[in-house]
Amino acid sequence: MATLSTDVLVIGGGATGAGVAWDASLRGYDVVLVDRADLAEGTSGRFHGLLHSGGRYAVKDPHAATECVQENRIVRNIAADCIEDVGGFFVTTPYDDPAYADRFAKGCRDTGVDCEEIDPAVALREEPRLNPGISRVFRVPDGNIDVWKTVWAMARGAQQRGARILPYHEVVAIHRNGDVITGARVRGHATGEELDIEARVTVNASGAWAGRVADLAGIEGVRILPGRGIMIAMNHRLVNTCVNRCQMPSDGDIIVPIHTVCIIGTTDEHTDDPDDHTVLQEEVDAMLDDGEKLVPGFRQARALRVWTGVRPLFEDAKALDTDTRDVTRAHAVLDHAERDGVTGFVTITGGKLTTFRLMAEDTMAAVSRHLGDERPCTTKTEPLPGSEGHATYMLAERLERKEKNLVDEQIICDCELVPRWKLEESIRRRATTNLDDIRRLLRLGMGPCQGGFCIYRATGILHGLDGLSAEQADKSLLEFLEERWRGTWPILYGDQLRQTRFDEWIFQGVLDVEHLPLPQPEAVAT
Amino acid sequence: MSGQLRYDAVVIGGGTAGMVAGARLAEGGARVCVLAKGVGSTHLAPGTIDVLGYAPERVAAPLAALGDFVAARPDHPYALLGADAVAESAHWFQSRVESGPLPGYRYVGDLERNRLFPTAVGALRPSALVPETMAHGDGDSLERVCVVGSRALRDFHPALCAANLGRAGIAARWVEAEIEVIKADQNALGLARRFDDPAWRAAFAGRLALKLQADESIGLPAMLGIRDPHSAWSDLERRLGRPVFEIPTLPPSVPGMRLYEILRVALRRAGGRLVLGAEVVSAERAGSRVTSVATRAAGHDAVYAAPWFVFAAGGFSSGAIELDSDWVTRDRVLGLPLRGVPGPGEPRFLPEYLAEQPMSRVGVAVDAQLRAEGADNVVVAGAALPGAISWREGSGEGIALASGSRAAQLVLSAGGARAEAA
Repeated sequence: MATLSTDVLVIGGGATGAGVAWDASLRGYDVVLVDRADLAEGTSGRFHGLLHSGGRYAVKDPHAATECVQENRIVRNIAADCIEDVGGFFVTTPYDDPAYADRFAKGCRDTGVDCEEIDPAVALREEPRLNPGISRVFRVPDGNIDVWKTVWAMARGAQQRGARILPYHEVVAIHRNGDVITGARVRGHATGEELDIEARVTVNASGAWAGRVADLAGIEGVRILPGRGIMIAMNHRLVNTCVNRCQMPSDGDIIVPIHTVCIIGTTDEHTDDPDDHTVLQEEVDAMLDDGEKLVPGFRQARALRVWTGVRPLFEDAKALDTDTRDVTRAHAVLDHAERDGVTGFVTITGGKLTTFRLMAEDTMAAVSRHLGDERPCTTKTEPLPGSEGHATYMLAERLERKEKNLVDEQIICDCELVPRWKLEESIRRRATTNLDDIRRLLRLGMGPCQGGFCIYRATGILHGLDGLSAEQADKSLLEFLEERWRGTWPILYGDQLRQTRFDEWIFQGVLDVEHLPLPQPEAVAT
Repeated sequence: MSGQLRYDAVVIGGGTAGMVAGARLAEGGARVCVLAKGVGSTHLAPGTIDVLGYAPERVAAPLAALGDFVAARPDHPYALLGADAVAESAHWFQSRVESGPLPGYRYVGDLERNRLFPTAVGALRPSALVPETMAHGDGDSLERVCVVGSRALRDFHPALCAANLGRAGIAARWVEAEIEVIKADQNALGLARRFDDPAWRAAFAGRLALKLQADESIGLPAMLGIRDPHSAWSDLERRLGRPVFEIPTLPPSVPGMRLYEILRVALRRAGGRLVLGAEVVSAERAGSRVTSVATRAAGHDAVYAAPWFVFAAGGFSSGAIELDSDWVTRDRVLGLPLRGVPGPGEPRFLPEYLAEQPMSRVGVAVDAQLRAEGADNVVVAGAALPGAISWREGSGEGIALASGSRAAQLVLSAGGARAEAA
């Protein structure tokens, strides 16, 4: 069996785990990061994309609000290329308790959320599709953040400093020698081969799955209460500002414009299984009704996809004084040396995406104690690769580039303006045959046609590179079709159903992918 | 508001079924107008005439298979149409191709036997009749083939096509042809226009010939001419000295656009009228009869009155039938009752993409005469009919031709049209 040796092994490649890998490599530690799937394929990649101003927590969770205020400023600077400065509104709709607005304004003052009340008429000029019945509007510095871009920027930055990033490597065992965790054994999905990773400190950054990973280490009582939420992406930006209902945070009360779409979220249902991706009809119906309250006519717009994310709400079953604070959106760093007398193991869970950098910093503080070697954190000021210019992302960047290259740049995904060279570069760099990995990097197939045109084109290009077998290419095509369908079918109506029928004509009618040659039966060992 | 326009029959929908109905009504002496919001699935489908490809196993003899097929699926349009109607309408179609606007262009094959033709991904797809430009792609007779693509055309990937043909036992390789582009995002239609130019295609053939080996057929993306495909294709065969065949690309479908043009000319030659960009937005009724429909086109609303209407507006794909966000399904054009809608609590769609989706067989409810339920003078044709999943069955053109023809025949024989005309 192959072995690796490192200072810090990070289990979990979401925003937190990638943040820990980035922080640790900036501090000069050797890092290995593993994830059972692709980076940011779990909770991080399954939210609405809001970079919090803190407004949503201003009344309910002042501590979280203050954290968001600080981290929002830092992240805008260090991850500028991943962030679009769309701004945010908190609006009192006819459905909201009008008394909340004053509490909200006070909460913002108390927690430092930069908040300005504006005339609803001004807000309606900026966002003409908003409910005209809004009575009060507050402007806050919400933004949106492209998580996949952020996570890969951190991973790449860490790689440049020697880190080894291993997506699709699942932890099958955690090595424990008495009261010392010494690393883990992982299995690579592509090869099925196992790999032993010896580490001075192992970080459990597996979010909603942290309880399971802690179990593997023989650590008890790390109890995660997974909260499942659904989100729906609409096919264009009904609003260009993040719009929140000015009320206690609830279901379906926020619309976040991000890239070419806008996303309404979310719900919060307890589930026992962090891999539970059930979408209930009632949830979809309720979400569409909520959309109508913010943007009348919401139901007439095209809904592209629905998906679920699972929040890692943490409750420490070992805490002596278990009150409700332990089940908030605050993050928790568990130093298992202090908590359980087990060294070489730190768990980070809970929290929210906006504070991923702070979560990583707090985690590394504990890791440094285990390593007996305190080094300063520099993630507050060190820009991520691609964000050195500190200029935030502009929606029209792709269009601007395309317009400059009308003759030379062939577009493969028309909806998201993904050019051929970029697709080829990403396939090479990721060395993947999974088009869904490419989707997360480039937004391939994420627009209104949901892959109708680009899936065939991308498969052709994937096949052409590096002599992929037709069998593997066919598999990639069919898997991507299935993947796209997964988020489509529970919410198929209106023009998106038309689109789907058109796509069915392409794949089943024109291309007849259902009747591609069958895979050769695997050779049977005799 | 303009005054009412009166016709013997108004056809709603300009896809294959609507154009066939319109042309045959006009040929039968009716004053007919085809109202179309836009073009139909002709511009999307491969341009072949598919009668029955899968049931769900691959069908060898489509016409002969229809009997057993409808016995198992009595709700299918073919159960109302019958094999004779399919054969008759295919025959009519062939004659209109031959007398049509594309000199020398023919469809090849028959309804007795499906032949298998390569798709752009390299699957082999059954069709009954295909344009002559595709005929040499017949998978059974294909031995050695060179699939030719071009980096200029993003909608066709020759290496993948050839590799999958290889998996199906056909000796296939691929080459890339150099095509200069004016802009990078070229589609098959843009390139087809260039193949209409004899000098351009002579130069193309000259460059391509250098890359070819002896004894191999040539598969090219379906882009060999739009105005004069017979000349483009036969010229290429002659210059290259070997069989050449087209393989359908992603939309827009050049062979489909040729098919549309053939039907359009058949309609116009017989004196029928076609109004494109005319979406039907409302209808007037008198009891169980539709008396007129109103269209909205840019700057010009119009009302069309007729004793008969042919409803060939399509299904979900055209937007004629809609499932709204409250999960209510309706015909948006005339509000006709539907059939095949999953009941309350039943799934509309299933989690597996390639499963048979319950919402797939929805259509306008009709009687045995294709008359819409509750609308005595509305005859339904094409994808608006319930019971078929034409993109999976490979039955779209068979249904469209036969039902379009039947609709015309029903209106003509009802005498209403002629009486009105007299």
